[in-house]
Amino acid sequence: MSVGKKDISCPPEAPGTPLKDSDIAEKKVTYVEDHPDIRYAWTAGQAISRFLNELKKGKLIATKCNKCRRILFPPRMFCELCYKPIDDWVYVKDTGTVQTFSISYIDPDAKPLEKPVIVAVIAVDGASKNMAFMHVLGEVEPEKVYIGMKVKAVWKPEEEREGSVTDIKYWKPIEG
Amino acid sequence: MFNEKIIDPAELRHWGGKIELYWIYTSGEAGDRFFKALKDEDKFIAAKCKKCGKVFFPPRMYCEFDFSETEYVEVSGEGCVRAFTVAKLDKNEKPLEKPEIYAIIDIDGTDGCMIHLLREVEPEEVQIGMKVKPVLKDKAEREGKITDILYFKPS
Amino acid sequence: MEVERVSGLKFHKKQDVAIVGAGMTTFKRRLNETGKELSFLAIKQALEEADMDLSDIEMVVMGSAPDAFDGLHMKGEYLLDGSGGSDRPYMRVFVGGGTGVFAPIAGYWHVASGLADVCLVVCEEKMSSCMPHPQSAFKYIWDPILDRPLAPNLIWIFALEMNRYMHVHNIKHEDIALVSVKNKANALDHPCAQLAEKITVEDVLNSEPMALPVRRLDVSPPSDGAAALIMVAPHIARQVTDNPVWVTGVGWALDTTMWTNRDLYFPRYVAEAAKMAYRMAHITDPRKEIDVAEPYDPFDYKELHHMEGLGLAKKGEAPILTREGVTARDGDLPCSPSGGLLGVGNPIAATMGVKAGELYWQLAYRAGKRQVAKEVTTGVCQAWGDLMQVGTVMVMSNKR
Repeated sequence: MSVGKKDISCPPEAPGTPLKDSDIAEKKVTYVEDHPDIRYAWTAGQAISRFLNELKKGKLIATKCNKCRRILFPPRMFCELCYKPIDDWVYVKDTGTVQTFSISYIDPDAKPLEKPVIVAVIAVDGASKNMAFMHVLGEVEPEKVYIGMKVKAVWKPEEEREGSVTDIKYWKPIEG
Repeated sequence: MFNEKIIDPAELRHWGGKIELYWIYTSGEAGDRFFKALKDEDKFIAAKCKKCGKVFFPPRMYCEFDFSETEYVEVSGEGCVRAFTVAKLDKNEKPLEKPEIYAIIDIDGTDGCMIHLLREVEPEEVQIGMKVKPVLKDKAEREGKITDILYFKPS
Repeated sequence: MEVERVSGLKFHKKQDVAIVGAGMTTFKRRLNETGKELSFLAIKQALEEADMDLSDIEMVVMGSAPDAFDGLHMKGEYLLDGSGGSDRPYMRVFVGGGTGVFAPIAGYWHVASGLADVCLVVCEEKMSSCMPHPQSAFKYIWDPILDRPLAPNLIWIFALEMNRYMHVHNIKHEDIALVSVKNKANALDHPCAQLAEKITVEDVLNSEPMALPVRRLDVSPPSDGAAALIMVAPHIARQVTDNPVWVTGVGWALDTTMWTNRDLYFPRYVAEAAKMAYRMAHITDPRKEIDVAEPYDPFDYKELHHMEGLGLAKKGEAPILTREGVTARDGDLPCSPSGGLLGVGNPIAATMGVKAGELYWQLAYRAGKRQVAKEVTTGVCQAWGDLMQVGTVMVMSNKR
């Protein structure tokens, strides 16, 4: 085995050849472009299937673990802390408190949005502490949103609901 | 015992979606050399390890066995068939009009092989060890990809 | 309900582990080399520093983040020949962004268990292949049913966490922006840096809003790059160099994907991983015993968040330390002297070069212009990943 004692004061970096977007557009280097067709059908599972069906009816449902006494929202079939199956279904209210929020100016592909989206993590009333989920806020000016604000869900009309988290259009502040 | 579960399949939900990404794969240092030589000069480049003498085809910037640098050498691009298969279905499992022959071709002067199509020959006539040579696209149509070689034919 | 994870752990090991060489390629938004070639270049530099040959390497660990970036299924296997994996035991590890420190931890297992005396650890990332933008691949980290219908961008989750952190401790954006200013200036001395520049707090606060409170200059860029480390057993370390850097503690912890069920103001996954690493390294007071730190900083507030998770600052104290200059290169507890991800670049797994690699170079006194002013004995590096889930921590020391 070849060994030795070497003392370099500061190793230089290993090189690389940077490219600009125009190098690709002008075909200065060879490349292959591939547009695959990748499709999925994800099963919602027991808990979320029931959650989505209840959303269609205009209700929010959670599950309960009798050992740690937590009401878990979004619902799941096993308590991840006690590592045992849950014991019951429990309806929760469609009001909640804003735990944190952000005003987004970008879409999923990092392109700018015309109108900003206010996204928030909302702790739902009736579930245990910190049992929150992510949704959007509406009917409120971005500057007026604050952590601790009480909000209520605004549902789509019954005929438009499809059993999806978007059956709630947005959450709006409760007056007073 | 908690068993309030959904048993009617119509009540079980699933969610459809697509992964909408696409990719641009650069050929890299060695790959760029290879494809540019093929596209502009009709030449086939391989890479010889400076330490152990192994000749890699398609060429690489490094020898994977002893990590020393390689030097680029020219080869003819001709070779012989090491193995082959006859495909009757396309990648979506629909029947092809005319069966395609895919072969692993041992390239002369290198320790490497490449996979490509064999044409201008009937499946029954293909034999292991058969000598083949590449047929390239018209220069104007070449793009710097492996498809610049249209297929291999018996020489 | 809090769960104590570390209590039952035993820390038996067969031999100590030292790092004797490191290498990294330049980090840029788009590099021409393929992933294999980048791995090769980084490894070659590490082997040169340790004055070793590929034939001296006994096992290889490769770390690389989602296949979706390179667009290659089973990326680890694909990168094998460029990573020196032909003819020797090879494995790939992946915990999202935490891979930068998790890959050296896996290398540590190989040597500490006595299965190998010389283990090569290499990390590579080629994010530029992913189109329309590497950010697009992050669309698929979200739950398909609960989150994706809302059209989220990954920046949202950082913005939500940053807002919560700022709210709980009453921190102003100006104090957080100081981290971005510090790191980008530090990166001016790093030859591989992608986004090194001198900016001011006003530049950060006036930059393009992405998802408030996060603005463009609060974020690190996607990059291509690779990094490598060589980890060896003590008898080999003695032959190779007079100053090996010893790995004295490792720790890793993951939290649940139900991130909305956690209070985001404190990274408990980092605290758990740090607890494990400090216990192994016999460190009881990290603020006093750690001389230099490389916390993971994909966003500026994350450096502060992680400093508190690592116990280097009390909860809410990290921005005060930054404001007072304690975390500058000539301060009492330099953090991210390399320039971090904000200055050098963020090729997910290859950030090993900026975290573990930089810590090694600092403790071996080989960081050149980036060398911190004070004398250093012990340091900690950390990485984070996924949906606010992974903490991976490694403690190193140049005294055994």
